[in-house]
Amino acid sequence: MLLELVREAAGQTTAPPALISPAGALSYRECLLRGEAVAHGLARLGAARFGCALAAPADTLVALAGSAAAGCEACPYPPGLDEAGLAATAARLGHDRVLADQGRPLGGARGMTLGDLERDGSDRPLPRRDRAPVLILTTGTTGEQKGARHDWSRLVRAVRRPDERPGTRWLLAYNLNQFAGVQMLVHALAGRATLVVPASRRADDVIEAIRAHAVTHVSATPTFWRLLIGRLDSRGAAELGLAQITLGGEATPQGLLDRLRDLFPHARVSHVYAGTEFGSVVAVHDGRSGLPLSVLDRDASADVRLRVRGGELQVRSDAGMLGYHAHEDDAGGWRATGDLVEQGADRLHFVGRTSEIINVGGAKVHALPLEELVCSVEGVELAAVYGRPNPITGQIVAVDVVAAPGTDADELPGRIHEACRRLPAAGRPRRIRVVPALETRGGKLLRHEAPASG
Amino acid sequence: MADTQTITDPPDTVVAAIRELLKRRGTGPTDVRPESGLLADLAMESLELAELSVALADELGRDPFSEGLFPETVAELIAFYAS
Repeated sequence: MLLELVREAAGQTTAPPALISPAGALSYRECLLRGEAVAHGLARLGAARFGCALAAPADTLVALAGSAAAGCEACPYPPGLDEAGLAATAARLGHDRVLADQGRPLGGARGMTLGDLERDGSDRPLPRRDRAPVLILTTGTTGEQKGARHDWSRLVRAVRRPDERPGTRWLLAYNLNQFAGVQMLVHALAGRATLVVPASRRADDVIEAIRAHAVTHVSATPTFWRLLIGRLDSRGAAELGLAQITLGGEATPQGLLDRLRDLFPHARVSHVYAGTEFGSVVAVHDGRSGLPLSVLDRDASADVRLRVRGGELQVRSDAGMLGYHAHEDDAGGWRATGDLVEQGADRLHFVGRTSEIINVGGAKVHALPLEELVCSVEGVELAAVYGRPNPITGQIVAVDVVAAPGTDADELPGRIHEACRRLPAAGRPRRIRVVPALETRGGKLLRHEAPASG
Repeated sequence: MADTQTITDPPDTVVAAIRELLKRRGTGPTDVRPESGLLADLAMESLELAELSVALADELGRDPFSEGLFPETVAELIAFYAS
């Protein structure tokens, strides 16, 4: 279980820090002692579940390790919730207690602090537990966030013992309330690696953290990577010396894979397909976008199986969640992923999400291939394609783009129109806006019309 | 200097939006006159009209198509903004 991973790493004579953040380093030893104390504190309270709204990732790590050892279900909340948002989240998820930093207003929710839990601990050995739940909220990019109940033992079992060399340092580009962040945490602890937390998710802060703390491995969304490499030339990229680049959380376009391979010729570039509900499905290392068709051939005994129905990818997973919170019976069987795919000669290509299909006078248009085309236009750093309501055709295709540094924004619409000239008329962008930034949630691009600004 | 140039002039904006659309067709210059029919003379297709409606809504704050009107000529389109 999670605390056991920490214990194993702490027992090494040359254990590296478990986590480095701008606030300082947390050693595996300290993480173990604090995690044990928290476990005792939770056991004494008799709490079965709680919301976790701690600001510092190091504290969240301690809380998660302690709760896993106590068999008490933690639910890390999204960062940045205001008082009302926090109270509403606690009420919606039925959390009687919220673990939060001292003095944070909780809007009526019953609070507790890490200090309370650690102080109340005892020295008695903790009972060994085979199962310990954790509730992870979906990103909710296209709807309300749902709570997916996972089990730490499954999550730990699903992580292959990484064969990474000692001294591996992973950038924590996700928040620990996200499934990808929790996977990252388990992966790093299992590999006795160090997690490095940047001061913020802004590209400049991320690059600074990679440089300052000699990060070797980075896992992030394609949108995050686009913004990061927008700030790097080949020399700047070479100086970072990355060994592993992983993309996930969104479909990875071929153009981005090619660009990363050019910028980081010595790094292994992988993209993974995973979901909060069904866990990790496949990691692809061959430098090509999409999934190999062989993923559809897994036999019935496989933990995770895939099939395509009506153009949509479906997953059946024995390694995924136990069920949704308040809908426990919704775990088993085949699950629609919302990801639309097209089958090529030897590949499944992602074309968009079911919730993001654009209907232009009856013609269905998918966002991803168009976004990739627009991103290939010189001077485009990032693009979001979405449907805009229209009285004549129902919807039209709109695209918001962020210009790369040094680009004349006035030239971009003409270049984009030219690049899209050969597309079917319904699939061409009919409104192009150059915007200062695009909205993301959990590192994933939100495809909708954002208010024009700047 | 007073920034008087930023005041949007609806007739100019309407004509400029139509010219921009026609230019992208790549079929050579087309004369845009007040009496030009959007369908009859300029041969605009539904997707071009859809594009025109969002361009005008963004530039001028409203457009006739979204208000259930269907102007037939450039002059009728311009007149909508005088109302």
